[in-house]
Amino acid sequence: MITTSRRARLGWNIATYAVLLTLTVFCIFPLLWTLLTSLKYEADIVTQTMQYIPKRITFENYVTIWTQSGFPTLVFNSFVVTATTVVLCLITGTLAAYSFSRFHYPGRGALMLGYLVIRMFPAVLMIIPLFILMRGVGLLDSRFGLALAYTSFLLPLFVWMLKGFFDAAPKELESAARIDGCTRIGAMIRIVLPLARNGLVATSVFVAIAAWNEFLFALMLTTSQGSRTWPVGLQLMVGEFQLPWGVLAAGGIISIIPVMILFAIVQRTMVHGITAGAVKG
Amino acid sequence: MSTLTLNGVRKSFGALDVLQSIDLKLEDGEFLVLLGPSGCGKSTLLNIIAGLETPTSGDIFIGDKRVNDVHPKNRNIAMVFQSYALYPTMPVERNIGFGLEMRGVETDTRKRAVDGAARMLQVDHLLDRKPGQLSGGQRQRVAMGRAIVREPELFLFDEPLSNLDAKLRAEMRTEIKRLHNRLGTTVVYVTHDQIEAMTLGTRIAVMKGGVIQQLADPMTTYEKPANMFVAGFIGSPSMNFITGTLVRDGAHVGLTTDGNNPASIRLPRVAANLDALLGRKVVLGVRPESFQADGAAPDLTGTIDVVEPTGPDTLVVLALGNQTITARLGPKLTVATGETLGLSIQPDSISLFDPDSGNRIG
Amino acid sequence: MAERMSALSGPSPSLWRRLDPAAALGRLSETRYWMYLLLVPSAILILAVVLYPTVYGFQLSFRQMRLNRPDLGTGLVGFKHYVAMWNDKVFWLSLRNTAVWVTFAVVIEFGLGLLAALALNRNLPGTKIMGVLILLPYFLPNVVAGHMWALLLDPRLGVINDILVRLGFLETYKAWFADPSTALGAAILVEAWHGFPFFALLLLAGLKGVPDDLYKAASVDGAGPIRQLRLITLPMLRSVIAAAVILRVIGLVNSPDLLLILTGGGPGQSTQVLSLYAFQKAYKDFNFGYAGALSVVMFVLLMVFAWAYVRVSKVNQD
Repeated sequence: MITTSRRARLGWNIATYAVLLTLTVFCIFPLLWTLLTSLKYEADIVTQTMQYIPKRITFENYVTIWTQSGFPTLVFNSFVVTATTVVLCLITGTLAAYSFSRFHYPGRGALMLGYLVIRMFPAVLMIIPLFILMRGVGLLDSRFGLALAYTSFLLPLFVWMLKGFFDAAPKELESAARIDGCTRIGAMIRIVLPLARNGLVATSVFVAIAAWNEFLFALMLTTSQGSRTWPVGLQLMVGEFQLPWGVLAAGGIISIIPVMILFAIVQRTMVHGITAGAVKG
Repeated sequence: MSTLTLNGVRKSFGALDVLQSIDLKLEDGEFLVLLGPSGCGKSTLLNIIAGLETPTSGDIFIGDKRVNDVHPKNRNIAMVFQSYALYPTMPVERNIGFGLEMRGVETDTRKRAVDGAARMLQVDHLLDRKPGQLSGGQRQRVAMGRAIVREPELFLFDEPLSNLDAKLRAEMRTEIKRLHNRLGTTVVYVTHDQIEAMTLGTRIAVMKGGVIQQLADPMTTYEKPANMFVAGFIGSPSMNFITGTLVRDGAHVGLTTDGNNPASIRLPRVAANLDALLGRKVVLGVRPESFQADGAAPDLTGTIDVVEPTGPDTLVVLALGNQTITARLGPKLTVATGETLGLSIQPDSISLFDPDSGNRIG
Repeated sequence: MAERMSALSGPSPSLWRRLDPAAALGRLSETRYWMYLLLVPSAILILAVVLYPTVYGFQLSFRQMRLNRPDLGTGLVGFKHYVAMWNDKVFWLSLRNTAVWVTFAVVIEFGLGLLAALALNRNLPGTKIMGVLILLPYFLPNVVAGHMWALLLDPRLGVINDILVRLGFLETYKAWFADPSTALGAAILVEAWHGFPFFALLLLAGLKGVPDDLYKAASVDGAGPIRQLRLITLPMLRSVIAAAVILRVIGLVNSPDLLLILTGGGPGQSTQVLSLYAFQKAYKDFNFGYAGALSVVMFVLLMVFAWAYVRVSKVNQD
């Protein structure tokens, strides 16, 4: 912004920092507090006077949650489901995104609008028939079944995002490759995919985070320990065992570590990808 | 009272000096062109004049008011941007009248002013359209309308024609000149196109590396460039530069070209003028159109390398010793590659430059 | 391997190469239908796992299906569920709560998101890391977010309660989620915390698409920062805002995750929203038919909203 007086500009800068600082605290505080709680002895959590900075810390909460009620299994299940989802999305979604990006044919716009309409379907509306359907084919309460369900509603988002990244890769390179003798799929694999690698990573991470965090479908579609994912497991623990706050906090922190790692990977690409795309458009 | 005065304006970003002590004085009604390649600081200077950037040091006066701390909207200026910067969500009418609207001018007065400006620029039939529905040239005119409607003291143009195709550019150039003749407002005009500079400006400031290389009217800049940069920047095809040593050649002074294959050029100037420079290494500058084909008593002779008929002229590239020169000769010339050709230089059309500093020495 | 590579790069004469799957794929990719073939895998997936269940769900709303009452059968019952819905007090309550919930959440999220986007767009030094941290809540799982805030607002241990008491805003700790008058509000706060980075991200992207020159011109024309925001920035962001609002409203209406974890619809029915109500009908009562009908109503409402919003905001005029 253009302000001539240094005082005015200083004022706006201070205001900007104030706003951002407040919002940052607002966003991070719950996380920090949970972390602190997870490191406190239970006695220190339920005391009369609030302990802000813990006087003593312990890792017993983490030990408890890890050794109790099959938490490792839950985490492992989530990992398997997430990985499967990502792989399924990558295989099917990359092809579709490439098709949307590189080819123009009638109905393309309608198909892409259809994506938006699909999103309008309430989760509940889909879960019931999905429940019945999966029970029918024996995929109920299975990690693969869950991954399949996740893939289906994450796929439109995946394709939408990846198409954007494909659009940014220049078409001329593929044309050159085809003149040099490459087939279409050859050009796609050897030229476009490496170029869009960042986009592939970002989009996959996005899907991975969504799959890892997902609660509702997991709740409805898994019924036993064998395939239960961590969100459902943790929530049930709270209900069944009256989980102490410290242990719950520890469980929460453990569960979001993968998310934080994935988020750290993707945040730079995301912001960069958005800004680059926006400037071009 | 001059319209615009700049005293020692400097601008640096950290260690980088974008502008190094600019001094300018513009009189009322002048059309100053800031000419230079990208990165020379001309746009920065314009932004400083407008108040969109603050100088690191130095003073800016508009009229006789020091405006360093004055907000752009209070400097009584108007600006036309390279991208036109028309507000895309507003119709043309509101775009033109926006400045007046922001200053609280009444609707009726505003409408009259907008209509007047629109009519002058022949966009009055487009008042209801949005910028996205206009062609490049029309957008240009609307941008200018927005500028003139406020009747400012100073117009600032930032490369307004760069986004237009060649034909439209020529048309709009004439349009701008016509407008200036009609309104008589002082203008500062930034461009990298030397033809625009030559045709539009009453004075040209050629800039490079944040320094004004020469500040003079177009013809002086063209005929007597202050240094090699200015000489090479203005004029197309650009001025020929021939390095060599000045020697005596009878009543004249001659130039022996550098390099293994020295050639001789007789300079069309009386020896007395150049006595002091004899024996010195110089760079000779001659514009292509200053040559004439002369079979009888040529000032130089060279071997033809390339012949380019352009229609109105023939451009001949001549090898002279180890160097080459380009000459603009008549259209009916019948020469071929490999032949030798003799040329004469028009009197009083040469420039001599010092090879180290690049500055003009004669 | 070398053969495989050369098979990918052109027509191949020998019989051995004709049998090679990679070569076959390569030739397939040159056919006219390749672009459609590319869509097949995802289409199958979506058709099977999304479209089919959805259509099934629609017709389910016209059926009787209570999994725990097999005696009732699964026959078509026409509009019985919809009629029942009309007379269902809880339905209307849920509808009202949904409207309140969504409206307030979106307004707050848009406001905070715009603030964040404008502040981040200035690119002052040191703000990049803050930008990253601000985006975090959107990527945290609902389960953890819900319990985090439940702890923060706990009637006995909530640190926010503690702070508010110390600062004098409260006298004693408040049971935010147990009090019907504050439960929805507290839940909206949590949802806003979770969702505003979505707006911040989209709006920031939109802001970067507004050319700098426009602000320069506006400055010269005499428009101050507030007027620039109102007359230039926001109008140019119209389609981004529309997309963000519509997507967010869809997300809020359709998923009961956060409320399920925070309140389960209570206390009383003060935080009961349509998605939660439908979910409970399905998961607890196993009344699939009625749940299906509720879902259909949600879907129709969303379609109407999206259509109305697009028309009113005249987005397509640009």
